[in-house]
Amino acid sequence: MAIYTNLYLLVFLPVVLIVYQLAPKKARWGVLLAASYALYISFSKYLVLLLMATSAFTWGIGLWLDKIGEACKAKQAECTDRKQKSEVKKEFQKKRVLALRVGVLVLLGILFYVNYLNFVIDNMNIFLGKLGTQLPLVKVMFPMGISFYTLEAVGYIADVYWERYPAEKHLGRLALFLSFFPQIMEGPIARYPDTSEALFAGEPLNMANLNEGFLRIIWGLFKKMVVSDRLSYLTTHLFGNYQDYHGSFIVLAAIAYTIQLYLEFSGSIDIVIGSGKLFGVTLPENFNQPFSAQSAAEFWRRWHMSLGNWFKNYVFYPITVSPMVKNWNKTARKKYGKYWSMVGTSAMALFPVWVATGVWHGAGWKYLFYGMYYFVILLFGVAMEPIKEKNYAKMGLDPNARWLKILRILKTWVIIFTGELFFNAVNLKAGFHMFFSIFGNFHISSLWKYWPNVITTGDVWAICVGSVIVWIVGFLKEHGVDVRGKILNARTPYKWSVYYLIIFAILLFGAYGTGYQPVDLIYAGF
Amino acid sequence: MEELLEILQDIDDSVDYENETALIDDHILDSFGIITLISEIEEHFDIEVDAAEMTPENFNSAAAMWKMIQRLQEN
Repeated sequence: MAIYTNLYLLVFLPVVLIVYQLAPKKARWGVLLAASYALYISFSKYLVLLLMATSAFTWGIGLWLDKIGEACKAKQAECTDRKQKSEVKKEFQKKRVLALRVGVLVLLGILFYVNYLNFVIDNMNIFLGKLGTQLPLVKVMFPMGISFYTLEAVGYIADVYWERYPAEKHLGRLALFLSFFPQIMEGPIARYPDTSEALFAGEPLNMANLNEGFLRIIWGLFKKMVVSDRLSYLTTHLFGNYQDYHGSFIVLAAIAYTIQLYLEFSGSIDIVIGSGKLFGVTLPENFNQPFSAQSAAEFWRRWHMSLGNWFKNYVFYPITVSPMVKNWNKTARKKYGKYWSMVGTSAMALFPVWVATGVWHGAGWKYLFYGMYYFVILLFGVAMEPIKEKNYAKMGLDPNARWLKILRILKTWVIIFTGELFFNAVNLKAGFHMFFSIFGNFHISSLWKYWPNVITTGDVWAICVGSVIVWIVGFLKEHGVDVRGKILNARTPYKWSVYYLIIFAILLFGAYGTGYQPVDLIYAGF
Repeated sequence: MEELLEILQDIDDSVDYENETALIDDHILDSFGIITLISEIEEHFDIEVDAAEMTPENFNSAAAMWKMIQRLQEN
C-alpha cells in the first residue's frame, strides 16, 4: 500500500485518523504504532519482525550507553581530585566506545547484508571465475525502508553516545520514531528530537493541521501524477533503448529524468509531510528549491536535505574532528600552508561522505560513480573558492550581479543533469555510452523528426503546464512569497476553490486509469 | 572574544558576527568554513573540539562559540 494509492489516501489514512481521534490521549501513540506496523506488513510481511528487532536493539544500545554514563558519574563522585576523575572517565569511555561500535556495526551490518552482499559476491566472482571457482549468491528479502530507518537508528545511537540527549526509556516511543508510517518508505530521515515529542503527545486533530496536511498531500499528488508519472513513460523508453538514441535525445532524457525524479520525490515527500501534519507531527523538509542553487554544494544543501544533513552530522563532522585528520591538518598547515591543508582536510572528509552517499542509493558501480562525480566537483569547488574571489576582483566583476547568478545556476543545472544521466542509466557502461553519444550528431530537429510514440501531445502539454505551475510556486517561495501559507490563510471559499482546482487537475490530467500503469516510488527502492 | 571575531572575519569578512545568531541554520558558515574555523580555534585557544561539540547550537553565533571555547578551556 504505497502512499499515493487510493487505498492509502481514501481508506487507510481516514481510518487511522478516526481511530486516533477516538482513542484516549494516552493510547494515541499506540494507534500510530499499530498503523505503522500494519502498513509495513502490507509491503514486507514478516520482515516487520526485523524492524521490531532493530527498534528493540537500538533502544537497548541507548540504555546501555546511559547506564555506562551513570556508572561513570557515580564513580567520579567518589574521586577526590581532577586527575582521578579524568582516569575514571577514560576507563568508562572505552566501554562507551564499545557500546557505540556494537550498535553501529550491527545496524550497518544488516544494511550491508541486505543491500550489498550480492553486489560484492558478484564482483568477487569475476576474479574467482578466472580461478575456476564461484561463490553462490545469497537469497535476500528486501525490508522496505531499511536504508532510511537504519540511518535514523545509527543517528540516535551516535547522539546518545555524544550525550546530545538522554536515551529513550520507553521502547514503544523509539519504535514509533523508527517506523512512523508516512516516513518509512522514502524518509525524510529525522533526528529523534525532531519528531518524538509530537508523535507521543497524542494531541487531538485540529482544523489548522488538517487543512495544512490536506493541501500538502494534494499538492504532492499533483506533482507526482500530473507531471512525474507521465514523464516516466518517456524516460523509461529513452533510458531502456539508449542505444537507439544520441545527441539531443540523450540531453532530453537527462533533463526529463531530473524533472521526473524531482517531482516524484518531492511530491512523495509532500504526501509524507502532509500525512504527518494531519496528526500534528512536523517532519523535516527534504527540498528547498534545489534548481535555484548556484553551485553543486548549494544544490546538495537544497536537495534530499535530510540525507545531506545526516551525512554532514554523522560522517563529515566526525571525520573532520577525528585525531587522524586533525594531525594531518596541523602538519600540512606548517608544511604546505593554510590553503592546501584546507583542501586536503576537505578531501579526507568529503571522500567517505560521497562514497557512502553514492552506495546508499544502491549496490552498483553507477551509484559509486555518481558519488565520486560529486566528490570531484565539490572538492574542485573548495579548491577554486579563493581563486574565484580573486578573479572576480581582478576582472572588476560584482559576484552578486544578476547575470552571473543566472550563469552559475545554468552551470549547476548542467552538473545536475549529467549526474542524473549516470544515476538512471541501465549501468555505468550505458551511462558513459549515453554521455558520449550526446556529442555525436547533435541536432535539435531530431526531437520532432524522430519523436518516440510513447507519450502523446496531451501528455507533453500536461507535463509542461504542470512543471511551469510547480516552477512558479517554487520561484515565488524563493523570493519570499509563501503560496501555500497564503492559500491556508485565505477565506474558506477561496481556499476550497484552490483545493478543488488541484483535485480536478489531478482527476483530469493525472496519469492513471486505462492506458497507465501505477508508477512505483523511486526512492522506496533504495 | 576579540581573537575569535578576528578568526571569523578572516574566514568571511562580509558577516556581522556580533549580531548574527543563525550562522549554521542559515548556511552563512558552510561546512568548509567550519573546517577552517575548528583548526584556527584549536590552535589559538589550545583546545580540542571533538565530534560531540559539532552541533548547530555551538556554532550559530560568535557568543555560542565563545561559550563553548571557555567551557573546553576549563575541562
